[in-house]
Amino acid sequence: MGLFSKLASLLGIKKKEANVLFVGLDNSGKTTIINKLKPEDAQQHDVVPTVGFTVEKFKNKSLSFTAFDMSGQGRYRNLWEHYFKECHGIVFVIDSTDKLRFAVAKEELSMLLDHNEIKRKRIPILFFANKMDLRDSVSSVKLSSMLKLEDIENKPWHICSSNGLTGEGLSEGTEWLSREMESAIKQQN
Amino acid sequence: MIVFSWYRGSNEKWLDAYKDPVASLYTLTQCITLSDVQADGDWKLIIADLGTGTFDMKLKVYKGTNLMSENTIIDLPTGVETFYMDTHEPRTPAIAVASGPYIYVYKNLRPYFKFTLPTLEVNPVEADLWNQVKEEKINIFVLREMLEGMRAEGTVLTVRSLRFLQLQDITDCEAFANLYRFTPLRRQTVITSLATLKKSHADEDAISCLVLGTESKSVYVLDPEAFTVLTTMELPSVPVFLSVTGLFDVEYRIVVACRNGCIYTLKRGTTVTTKNCIELNSQPVGLQRINKTIYVGTMDEALHCYTSKGKKLWTVKLPASMTTMEIIDYKPKGFKAVIVALSNCNVHIYKEKYLVNIIKTDDVVTGLKFGRFGREDGTLIMTLRAMHRTFQRDLYLLRLNTAREYVKSLENRMNPISSDPQEPLKLNATVQGIGPMFKLTVNLQNTSLSNPSTNLLITFQYDDKLYAFKNSFIEVPMLVPGLNYAFETYVECQSDKGISDNVKVYILRQGKSIPIITGIISMPCTDVEPIANVKKKNQDDF
Ligand SMILES: Nc1nc2c(ncn2[C@@H]2O[C@H](COP(=O)(O)OP(=O)(O)OP(=O)(O)O)[C@@H](O)[C@H]2O)c(=O)[nH]1
Ligand SMILES: [Mg+2]
Repeated sequence: MGLFSKLASLLGIKKKEANVLFVGLDNSGKTTIINKLKPEDAQQHDVVPTVGFTVEKFKNKSLSFTAFDMSGQGRYRNLWEHYFKECHGIVFVIDSTDKLRFAVAKEELSMLLDHNEIKRKRIPILFFANKMDLRDSVSSVKLSSMLKLEDIENKPWHICSSNGLTGEGLSEGTEWLSREMESAIKQQN
Repeated sequence: MIVFSWYRGSNEKWLDAYKDPVASLYTLTQCITLSDVQADGDWKLIIADLGTGTFDMKLKVYKGTNLMSENTIIDLPTGVETFYMDTHEPRTPAIAVASGPYIYVYKNLRPYFKFTLPTLEVNPVEADLWNQVKEEKINIFVLREMLEGMRAEGTVLTVRSLRFLQLQDITDCEAFANLYRFTPLRRQTVITSLATLKKSHADEDAISCLVLGTESKSVYVLDPEAFTVLTTMELPSVPVFLSVTGLFDVEYRIVVACRNGCIYTLKRGTTVTTKNCIELNSQPVGLQRINKTIYVGTMDEALHCYTSKGKKLWTVKLPASMTTMEIIDYKPKGFKAVIVALSNCNVHIYKEKYLVNIIKTDDVVTGLKFGRFGREDGTLIMTLRAMHRTFQRDLYLLRLNTAREYVKSLENRMNPISSDPQEPLKLNATVQGIGPMFKLTVNLQNTSLSNPSTNLLITFQYDDKLYAFKNSFIEVPMLVPGLNYAFETYVECQSDKGISDNVKVYILRQGKSIPIITGIISMPCTDVEPIANVKKKNQDDF
């Protein structure tokens, strides 16, 4: 069973649309991670830089689940906000070796958190400190302090190290996210 | 050290700088470029590191903050550019490094081709003299006298003759003449500035010609494929900064700032230029263009703006002297501005003539580059002067805190400029040494274009209980504009208490009591006991 179907079943909510927004700088590994979450036979061999965004749908008996894979390139980042309104969860992917651009990632994150559609909502945010397999990667603890995640108010968040190529760390993250989304959606009802 | 920052468009906002503590280099704006040299969408930072100026000169390519390639450069680099020299796929641009009389071309980060400037005509009299030496018709004394006479008349001599004239010793002169008399005499010039000019298409990856300025007052345009000289243009003075636009085959403009303080515009078809010249009041330290507008920074702490026709639009007075300048062209937000690095460790951003932002740095910025780096548009790269490296090399045997004290003492230099337009002077003083004996160097520069400074004196004010000056009164010879003159004196610290004080430097005109410039030097602490005590101790040890 692919991780997404597992996630959907964990959610256990009937006829609900759960939208998850994947954001983060270009080259951080968003598409690679989403690809790894798909059932094995649906996985792509080559992942190329995303142009604009792509939508992936995952379904099981009770749920339709939509992942918005946004492009992280500078010129497409202004597209992210168009999907803020409808999203139930956010996955923010960071290349933990791209020290040079931590400041840029931090800025994009604070713009997201400051956005009218996000600011007052209790949307869970999952951070992947991706590319943990590479030698010069920064630990999730260090990354968390560099991005000042402790300053995030009124939103549940979680950070875990991941490897988009092997899938390591992904289930820890997605399980956390689905639990959070589930309780959030339940509260709404 | 390299410092990175990002322009984010809104409210002239800059992100926190990322400082790369490992990168130790010394470079200038002309020697920095950003390019997708591997055609993988990950733009690399390419820097010609000037090293110490005599050794350790290297071409460095950074992927992110990782140094991915290094090539040694023989001579001092004066410019780095990337350009497409062919139409092959994948579209990998070549790197061109100007150094001495050569352009070194690298493809795929490997040495590919070396272009040598055409040799210049040797003065026939000079050639004949060396010929007569070869045939043993004249001796070295005659040679020397004749060459000296020619130099005094202002003849541009070959490097060989100049080196010969520098020799003091008769036997050295003889050996030198014997060594070289059978090799043909050549006059070679060096490249002062480098730029690129698209050949016939304006596409981003279109083939470009190299444009070079030389010490022999010429501008050359080179064919990118055959490396032949397509056009030569003569200037009244030595070009130091180039700004090129247009297409070689259609129409182009080369705006050139020259050492005589003039800016000339060369166009397709020009061979000799004196027309349309902008005359500056002081030497240029940077030249940039936004669209057709010309921006130039000058040594008298000013930023000027001119139209392409040479009409002055405005001048902004800067709070300190400019070290270098660069253009910001941030297309996503249509933001264009001039960025100016100052000797007071501030970087100013001017939109038109308005100061819109100040970035503070830990040290003086010597190189600036704005553009795409890695995958991020709007990256500003600032290289800081890395003086401590050279000094640490010299002092590595000494104790660390001594070295630190030494670096600190160098940091304690100041850079005032006279505010009197009648006395265009720049003062800069440095202290060297670990004490108790220090060497104090006062550098004076006449920043005017043509007026020599005369009858000047240097004096010092200090606590004579603390310091003894070997020479506290220095008579200054005539200062030729533009050149840097160094005056040295030794100062001994009389105290062994580890205390230090400020010393004041005054530049005075003979017969006047009000100084033209005053500078304050904060003296470093002595880290070593006075020599007398050390000697005594050493004796005790034996
Ligand atoms: N070593 C390593 N490489 C990874 C990992 N995750 C992704 N990559 C590689 O990183 C590169 C970029 O991955 P993408 O998934 O395209 O990144 P993206 O975030 O979707 O990028 P954009 O679509 O441009 O926003 C690819 O070459 C991946 O193979 C990882 O965990 N470890
Ligand atoms: Mg992608």
